[in-house]
Amino acid sequence: MSFLSLALAYAGFTALCLAMERHHEQVFQARRVPPRRRRALRIAGWLLLAASPVPCILAEGWGYGTVLWCGVLTAAVLPLALLLPYAPRAAALLGPVMLPLAALLAVLRA
Amino acid sequence: MKEGFRQSMAWLHTWSGLLVGWVLFAVFLTGTAAYLKPEISAWMMPELRTPAPETPAEQAATAQALMDHMTRTAPRSPAWFISLPEAREPWANVFWRDPGAGGRGFRQAVLDPRSGEPVAARGTRGGEFFYRFHFQLHYMNVPVARWIVSFCAMFMLVAIVSGIVTHKRIFADFFTFRPGKGHRSWLDGHAVAAVLALPYHLMITYTGLVTLMFMTMPWGGEAAYRGDRAAFNTEVFGTARPARPAGVPAPLVPVGPLLEQASRHWNGGTAGRIQVQNPGDANSTIQLTRSDSERLSFNPQIMVFSGATGALLSTAGDDSRPAAETRGVMYGLHVGRFGGPLLRALFLLSGLAGTAMVATGCVLWAVKTRQQAAKRGRVGFGVRLVEHLNVAAIAGLPVAMATMFWANRLLPLDLPARDEWEIHGFFIAWGLCLLHPLLRRGRRAWVEQFAAGALLFGLLPLLNALTTTTHLGVTLPAGDWGRAGFDLGLLAIGLALAAIARIVARHRPGAAPRAKPGAGPGSRPGAKPDRASQPARHGEPVAAE
Repeated sequence: MSFLSLALAYAGFTALCLAMERHHEQVFQARRVPPRRRRALRIAGWLLLAASPVPCILAEGWGYGTVLWCGVLTAAVLPLALLLPYAPRAAALLGPVMLPLAALLAVLRA
Repeated sequence: MKEGFRQSMAWLHTWSGLLVGWVLFAVFLTGTAAYLKPEISAWMMPELRTPAPETPAEQAATAQALMDHMTRTAPRSPAWFISLPEAREPWANVFWRDPGAGGRGFRQAVLDPRSGEPVAARGTRGGEFFYRFHFQLHYMNVPVARWIVSFCAMFMLVAIVSGIVTHKRIFADFFTFRPGKGHRSWLDGHAVAAVLALPYHLMITYTGLVTLMFMTMPWGGEAAYRGDRAAFNTEVFGTARPARPAGVPAPLVPVGPLLEQASRHWNGGTAGRIQVQNPGDANSTIQLTRSDSERLSFNPQIMVFSGATGALLSTAGDDSRPAAETRGVMYGLHVGRFGGPLLRALFLLSGLAGTAMVATGCVLWAVKTRQQAAKRGRVGFGVRLVEHLNVAAIAGLPVAMATMFWANRLLPLDLPARDEWEIHGFFIAWGLCLLHPLLRRGRRAWVEQFAAGALLFGLLPLLNALTTTTHLGVTLPAGDWGRAGFDLGLLAIGLALAAIARIVARHRPGAAPRAKPGAGPGSRPGAKPDRASQPARHGEPVAAE
């Protein structure tokens, strides 16, 4: 379940980061982010981030789940920030790849 | 006003961080290692092979065997402390006071988790050393050392808060790391390590201060209890008040039924520690403390029984008052013993991020100050001193830690005070790392120390194979992931240090004439001086000038 949290957080951070010019340029080679894409990325990012604590808290309860989620946030965003300058496309793709995998795993386990 | 405030915070951040940076680096790294205290201890005592008891019946049998052993070996001791074996710590640690010895006369032994007999384990402090070192250092009066660490932690908190204020573009630079750009990269790395694990850094620093708060701020307790420590402990933590022995002999009751009663009371929880006072006396007490790996709060749940009759005398910790519970939760968060392997891994990662934050901060200071000094054409003693200490503190500590592991395997088993000598080995190696930059300047000192650390860590699994029978060749086929994982982890640390050494060695100073290798590992001070010297545009913390 916490893997699903991690995947949600990673995808959320990726979306938020692609909405920024500097990182949009790293991945898509174009500094300007089309306004509609920016809005879509921002909304998706915040929704994914808002959803990310849910699996942790469902699995582990409020106290423990919240602590776990804070750790998951760090574990999600650190690799993203460190990967971006070296392999921007892979960093951006990792979220969309990980998310369905994690969802599938969660469903299988439930 | 706004700019002025930020400037002054930048000044505060720079100097409060530099002042305590080296101590904090050591505290962070050894504290992070302390999350693996049981695993480190297990590795350092390869003689221990018996798995911990699992079922309640087995656990009760073990506890009884331990009590029997203590009755035989220390019947006259005023108190015994027994920590029961658990899955991560499959051995029993016992402490007792020897009334015949001078001073407080504490004695300690490691007992087998099944038979309760002493194990012929080599003399070692194991992971306990890193744990102790991270809040009370070594070779020092304990209260003084704890004051020093508390002082540094307080400055850490100051540095974190002033750092947040100083960092103008937390959100704009949230994901930004630009490698290979000299001073700019150090700043990015520092910010990334700090911001992305910020909840952890704030939590660990604040809760670290809370763990020592009764020492640093005793006045509330002193005033309310008029200096009566025992009354304070009884009321806050529910520990049994020391009772006077009655002078009438009475054997201890079997401990099994007490464990069962405690488990029922704690809804299936298990006892982690047994404390016995006045064993063999009619006024004896047996205190059971719930295992701290089962709850987030560190406020112990305690049950005190009469040792002579087995009657329940008192319980504590079941519903703590808010203030005590707040402290308990903070303490629990700090030590992170409640978490499963996953949470421990996350704490470990965040701890390493904290270590990197301190290290990059120290290096950043040196890189930046050398740049400014080079502009003036004179590099002062202060910069050289900081650079020197940076090498010894940052690259030297892994060398020292690895040396202790080597000493653990190579020191003769019958060496007197063997456990102390392992620790001397740690400090001798660290001392050599402190001298080494005198001979090898700048970048070369960094590379050589990182490479030494890489070799020492990377060869540990090999050394383990040559000196024990619990090496990778045995543990991997047997699927003993605990031991195999530790060896593989050591290898991974070795590879990581080797990678760092390689990066530092291969970095070529930029073409700019001011380039001075050696301010920091892999720094390229001359890379883009034009960009780096425009702080306002890039929103970097402005160095104190």
